Amino acid sequence: MSILIDVATGGVRGGTSILYAGVGETVSERSGVINLGTEGSMLGGALAAYVLAAETGNPWLGVLGGAIAGAVLSSVHGVLVVRRGANQFASGLAVLFLALGLTSLFGAAYVGRTITSFQNYAIPILSDIPVLGPILFNHDPLVYLSYVVVPVVWYVLFRTRVGLLIRTAGERSEALTVHGFKVKNVRMLAVTVGGLFAGIGGAHLSIAYTNSWFENMIAGRGFIAVALVIFASWSPLRVFAGAYLFGAALALGPALQARGFGINQFALHVIPFVLTLVVLAVLGRRTISAAPAELKRVFENAPPDP
Amino acid sequence: MTAHVDTDVDPQAPPAQATWQSKLARAGLRALPHVGRWAAAIAGALLIFSILVSFKGANPIDVFGDMWTSTFSRSRSIGEIFIRMAPLALAALAVVVPARAGMINVGGEGQVIVGAVAAAGVGLATDQVLPGGVVLLLMAIAAILAGALWAGIAALLRLVFNVNEAVTTLLLNFVSLDLLLFLIYQPWRESPTQQPATRQLATEAQLPTLAATGVHVGIVVAVIAAVVLALALGRTRWGFRLAVVGGNPEAARRAGMPVTVLLLSALLVGGALAGLAGMIEFAGVETKLRPGFGTQIGYVGFLASWLARHKPVPVLIAAFTLAALAVGADSLQLDSGLPAATINILTALLLMAVLGWTAFRKKAA
Repeated sequence: MSILIDVATGGVRGGTSILYAGVGETVSERSGVINLGTEGSMLGGALAAYVLAAETGNPWLGVLGGAIAGAVLSSVHGVLVVRRGANQFASGLAVLFLALGLTSLFGAAYVGRTITSFQNYAIPILSDIPVLGPILFNHDPLVYLSYVVVPVVWYVLFRTRVGLLIRTAGERSEALTVHGFKVKNVRMLAVTVGGLFAGIGGAHLSIAYTNSWFENMIAGRGFIAVALVIFASWSPLRVFAGAYLFGAALALGPALQARGFGINQFALHVIPFVLTLVVLAVLGRRTISAAPAELKRVFENAPPDP
Repeated sequence: MTAHVDTDVDPQAPPAQATWQSKLARAGLRALPHVGRWAAAIAGALLIFSILVSFKGANPIDVFGDMWTSTFSRSRSIGEIFIRMAPLALAALAVVVPARAGMINVGGEGQVIVGAVAAAGVGLATDQVLPGGVVLLLMAIAAILAGALWAGIAALLRLVFNVNEAVTTLLLNFVSLDLLLFLIYQPWRESPTQQPATRQLATEAQLPTLAATGVHVGIVVAVIAAVVLALALGRTRWGFRLAVVGGNPEAARRAGMPVTVLLLSALLVGGALAGLAGMIEFAGVETKLRPGFGTQIGYVGFLASWLARHKPVPVLIAAFTLAALAVGADSLQLDSGLPAATINILTALLLMAVLGWTAFRKKAA
């Protein structure tokens, strides 16, 4: 039993960075833009947060900086894709390389620096609930923030005018044009907001989870987030479940090793990636039919035989 | 179609001013705005890079000067460029072929690694018993098959389950990285007390070098592959059909083309090329598997293919440029005290300039 609680707790903690990035990517993809630069936005967010936390001693300023860095990087993707008509996949990877370069240039001085990081805070009463208490209510503030942010994003996307505009940009962009809205502006907004959340995700990783900075520390979490959005069928709420599943798969290795199981860590580390591939295959046709129509055009530049 | 207008000149027509000089001059004039855009794009990239570098207290002029002299003034570093260029060019060609059919292969990174893993598996099992030439051949075959198989997984997911290949090839990169680490941390590890790595490939089974240059024959393989692909894509029925599928799959299907087979073949050929790149890196440079083997060959190859607009022969130029930048990055670290990964900024800016500002618009997103 204790191992299940450990893995689930680790899943929430380790999945939170992916959750933020996945929710941001949902917003972006709902407007019709896929952003592989999410990985880069997370990287930029992780460093900016770390630098600000180290220099100011205030982790919340770190989160702010991380969000801004993530948004700036994704807006580069936005300009290339939305304004200049560049290929979405190529532009995303270019943004990742930009982030890799920038963070290694400006991050070298911060490797090994100590920072004031976020601390765990057990919520009174709630954290005493058996099983659920330790899994959900004994975490750092950014985890709690995600409990609020993700439903809010869902609400904005599906119950407000701005959300309607974003979804229309992804489903039937002509309809926006007809009503006098600029599709490009709506998409720029969605992509930038997406990067903002990815930046917060990166910040969680560097100043709440690992409490360190090193080159390329995101290690594929941004790409996982992109895949996650697809298998969550572009729903922010399902991204919750997916992100924690990934986090749990990542937490399984350390939990087993702590109990003396000598398993090659890479056999466990591969699980989330294989899991994603399997889920994508199983849900393949169903998810793709749920995709925003404009995004489908990006995906299906050459659809297979029917 | 319009390309034929120039060549199929009506013999009845007056020879006009169609001397080769005037043709060249007109072609030059037409290319001028194009060249201007490229020059402006590259200048912009260099300028932004200079500003960023100067933030860290380095003098950009010195940085470029050091990179230039250390990259091009020593014959050894020129050789080094060709050594790095070979796998990059192959990894870029691995993007070119699927792109021709409208598919995006972001999985070069993983295909390079499984190619190297297969080559190492075969090579280390046979290099003590078989002659070097045979081992090399077996390694190449194993790497090609492994790379094709790895891309084949993505092809299968695309063609059977309708999952986008850009996403699956990307995820498979991480699977292959874990496979590599799994093998060298345990089953294939040479010694538990030393750094995790396999043993070294026997010298006779390593790629031969081109007479006294120190450059292994990988570059020859890459150039041949580029030329063969240029012919295959430009002159064969297969290449033509791939282009039709890439341009308009619906039209291809109505014309009775085997769209599924064509898409599959494009991804398999791409994977095979990347697998071969992994074998070349293993047998020509690294000679043992270690953590970090072949890092970024696939991704940089992806960028090279986009720089070259998915054309095989220009891919060689793009791969050369990026290889030269990578060699220059070492000088960045040694002479200017900047992290070598800083060069990624310049690579990214160059690609962004090309993607956004050189009139290369595939379809508006």
